[in-house]
Order: sequence, then C-alpha cells, then structure tokens
Amino acid sequence: MGIPTVTMSVVRTMTDALPAPRNVLVRFRLGQVFGEPGHREQQRTILRDALAAVHGIQESGNVIVLPYHWKRDTYSPG
Amino acid sequence: MARKWNRLKARVYSRYHWINEWYGRLKGEQPTAVPLPPLAPLRVTLAHASVALVTSAGVHLRSQAPFAMDDPDGDASFRVIPGDVDPTALMITHDYYDHAAADRDPNCVFPLARVREFAAEGALGRAAPRHIGFVGHLLGAQRRRLVDESAPAMARLLRDDGVHLVLATPG
Repeated sequence: MGIPTVTMSVVRTMTDALPAPRNVLVRFRLGQVFGEPGHREQQRTILRDALAAVHGIQESGNVIVLPYHWKRDTYSPG
Repeated sequence: MARKWNRLKARVYSRYHWINEWYGRLKGEQPTAVPLPPLAPLRVTLAHASVALVTSAGVHLRSQAPFAMDDPDGDASFRVIPGDVDPTALMITHDYYDHAAADRDPNCVFPLARVREFAAEGALGRAAPRHIGFVGHLLGAQRRRLVDESAPAMARLLRDDGVHLVLATPG
C-alpha cells in the first residue's frame, strides 16, 4: 500500500482527466491554489480543508470541491 | 523567444483557465479513464502524522540547479527541499503558469510555513524532513522519465523518511 496522498487542483478538467485517489479542487487561479500572497488565514483555511480530505474522501477518485471564491470570502483566524 | 511566448501564454491561462475548460467541452473532450489505486489509509492521526509536500510548481532552492525550461518536453528531474528551509532560500523555475504571486510568497503553492505552524500547534505531527519540487508541464520522453524514474525515486525518498501523508500541490 502506498503513502496516502491528497492531491490539489485548480483545473477541474485536469482532475477529471487524471484523478488521483483523493482530490481537492480549489476554484482559484493557477499559481495560487492556497490563495493570495501573505494571506495567512486564507492559506491556513485551504490547508486545513485539504488535510481533512484524507478522512473525508471514502472512495478512490472522488473530488472535494472547496466552497471558496476568489477574493470573495472572509477567513477567520484559526 | 519560445520561453517568452510560453510565459505570456501562462499569464493568460493562469487567470482564465476556465477558457480552456470551456473550449475542451466545446470540442467534446472526454476524461480519460485511468486505473485508480485504492485509497491508502492514514495509519496515524493527523496530530501524529509526518506530512510532506510534493509540488509540481517548480519550487527549488536558489542554490540548486534550475529546471531546464528550454526543452519543450520539460524537465522531469526533481529537487529535494529540506523541511527546515528558510523560505527566502526558495525560488521557482516554471514557464507554464504565472508564479508572480508565489515568487512573493511561496506558500501560495508550497505552504511549508503553514504546515510548520500546524505542527507547532499540534494539529499535525510534524513537517517531514524532506519535501519535493518538480515541474508539472511534461511531455514525451520527459513524461516517461517522470513515470519510470523520478516518481519512483520520490516515493522511495518519502518512504525512507517515514512520511505518513503527502500533500500534492500544483502550480
């Protein structure tokens, strides 16, 4: 058995074409899957949600789409 | 000249990648069926897990050789990034996405500082001793090199380090 892996993506077509066992899609720009530079809370939020996918995905190939929109959400400390 | 053109296309595509998705649907492109490995279970809690980042965003140390961008097939080699690296020692070589934001803050694609924070807070066990950077735009012989040589070598390295969980991040 391999090492459990959570694979992030910002391009749905790529994820659909070549899904990994655990996929997390973020609807952000290429080059900014964790959000804006210096935006620590945003980065922490995306990271926390991505790590949670290791338990949240129960079937190989499934995709969790994170609910965030580019520069339209607020992120609380935590 | 070819590299300038690639970087120009990357700036547009990075912001408006939905154009590519829309165009693909218009052409009737279908996802390719690939065999999926079974889910590997996480055998420890996140609070005890050693977590490694593997990024296709072209991240590497300034002291390491940059990825070869003159080959149109890309460069399937990879760079090992120490877990205790100073963030200012990192740079990005990749002509196929706009990394201006990640140049300012590598955490945009390689959130090692955030992983370290989570480990310090107890949410994760630790940041792995070694992380990996490579370039995701690979074609032809370089794609075969990734599959046949680089990816197995990466997996061995992570296994040797006792990594429990990998977070794979794109450019």
